[in-house]
Amino acid sequence: MASDSVSQDRVSRDYISPFDERVRAPEPLAPRPAGIAGRTVALLDIRKNRGAEFLDRIESQLTAAGAVTMRRTKEIFSKPAALALVDEIAGRADLVVEALAD
Amino acid sequence: MTDGQQGGIGAGTRAPELAVTGIDPGPVRLGDLTARGCAFLVFVSEECPTSALALRNLGPLCRSWEQAGLTATAVFEDPLEVAIRVARRLGWTGRVVSQAPPYETSRAYGLLSVPTTVLVGQAGILAGTVVGWNQPALVALIGQAGATLGTATLAAPPPAEPRHKPGCSSKAAIDPEIAAAISSQRADDEMEEMFERGWTDGLPVVPPTPERVEAMLGRADGSISLGFVPPSMGEATLERVAACAVLAGCRPAYFPVVVAAARAVLDPAFNLHGQAVTTQPAGQLVVVNGPVRRAIGLNSGMGALGPGFRANLTIGRAVRLLVTLSGGAMPGGLDRATLGHMGKIGCCIAEDEETSPWEPLHVERGFDAGQSVVTVIGSDAPLNISDHRSRTPDDLAYILAWAAATSWSTNWWPLAEPSVFVICPEHAEMFRAAGWSKQRLREYMFEAVHRPAGELRRGETTPFVHAAGPAAEIPKWASPDAIVLLVAGGEAGRYSAVLGPCTGMGSQIVSREVESGWLRTA
Repeated sequence: MASDSVSQDRVSRDYISPFDERVRAPEPLAPRPAGIAGRTVALLDIRKNRGAEFLDRIESQLTAAGAVTMRRTKEIFSKPAALALVDEIAGRADLVVEALAD
Repeated sequence: MTDGQQGGIGAGTRAPELAVTGIDPGPVRLGDLTARGCAFLVFVSEECPTSALALRNLGPLCRSWEQAGLTATAVFEDPLEVAIRVARRLGWTGRVVSQAPPYETSRAYGLLSVPTTVLVGQAGILAGTVVGWNQPALVALIGQAGATLGTATLAAPPPAEPRHKPGCSSKAAIDPEIAAAISSQRADDEMEEMFERGWTDGLPVVPPTPERVEAMLGRADGSISLGFVPPSMGEATLERVAACAVLAGCRPAYFPVVVAAARAVLDPAFNLHGQAVTTQPAGQLVVVNGPVRRAIGLNSGMGALGPGFRANLTIGRAVRLLVTLSGGAMPGGLDRATLGHMGKIGCCIAEDEETSPWEPLHVERGFDAGQSVVTVIGSDAPLNISDHRSRTPDDLAYILAWAAATSWSTNWWPLAEPSVFVICPEHAEMFRAAGWSKQRLREYMFEAVHRPAGELRRGETTPFVHAAGPAAEIPKWASPDAIVLLVAGGEAGRYSAVLGPCTGMGSQIVSREVESGWLRTA
């Protein structure tokens, strides 16, 4: 990850900084589609309590609006999603809805 | 009254609105400052001695001006924390606001130098400006304000020397990079500078100078990486870990323990990511076993959970600073803890292996007794358990176990994650005298605490309880292995404690050996 580094902190010459001073370029937002009809929407359940119920409701409305849905589930809510899951959603879905918390 | 040769917009024009940050939340508006009469805006900068002169001489007058309808606001070209500190130090009793680069307000007022004092009338019209320290001109400007307010008695600075002193360049009038470089040089108060840099957990820290960090590292290579610290995935180079240890107040002798703890919390099995960002109070409990305890002066006796012992407090704090600063888990930022707890600042327990009747934690976890080992456990705050009356090990085990019945939540049964019991020596002695092994106590405690599912269905409870029949007995812990037993504390007093778990994270206990090549005495 050191290759992400684009600058060092100017003020760290006097002290050893406890911060990781690398400045990361912000990720640009993906282009927003004009509508959802015909789009593939990933519904990500992070395994928080009742997240699945929320996604059930969202899924029925998305389906009614003409979207194609794909349900996926994280291993556990408290850890970042596995890279394979992120890659799959990024590769297959146009949009993603994540049910975050109870 | 304008000293026209040094910049500034002219009297009679509308005063520009302010783009500043005040101490209170919400915007600072010129109209609010002039609502009761008129306003002084005193543009200043921390590095400027003339600004300090103006603040010191005008500061004590502000309160009386305010009562007469003249507000006085020091408009700093510095961060707000610096502004507040400087104003307090110089006795400024007026209002304080701060500008960030590129100092829009200073630019709007055409500032070339600080201090510049601007009088704004009630209608928001700029009535006069004094540049630099110019005592006669300021007395006249104060008189002008008094006339506007219909008050002839506004206090003014006495004609003491120096009566004239030129100011310093406004940061709005110089190259932005140079202005930023000037702003960074605040070595006059290192402790405050640490707060300004955000290198703190809210308590004062030891500034991590290169010399101190080098001493902390000893012969270790500071470029070695221990991995990446969630949630922001800052890299934990040894140098950065050493900086955290210095900030925390560690002696170099503690550093091998800090490094072992850092390695342990960065093990994915510990799930530091979840613990760092959760709304739970979760802290990172550090348990130290083996010879290193005595070598570096870790306390496992009286007051074992603190306060009072540098090694315990600073090692725990160094680990948490690593999470907060290098990992970016700033409270209120990525650290979303609803309440947190005091032990989250840092909690390091050394086990009293010499008093304990049992094998110590690290031996239970597969290490040799002679190894020095750090074990980390995601945990809640300690809950005291007093028992001075039990006369049998069964009664004592029952009291200890049931004290934890409300851990996490009253009806949250069973707990899958570890509850840590710190058994005091007098309690431990009762079990020793009765010949109870650690495993026997653990199993007794597990068996002792259970309730029918039907009594656990109010409010927050577990899917396990919901799925069980109402008469099914639900234990407090998923297994005896979820009960961790340590011995520590003073020889007198029958007070043990339990630290509830960090729950639902899949966070496992992780141990790491303290690298023996680094064993140094305090």
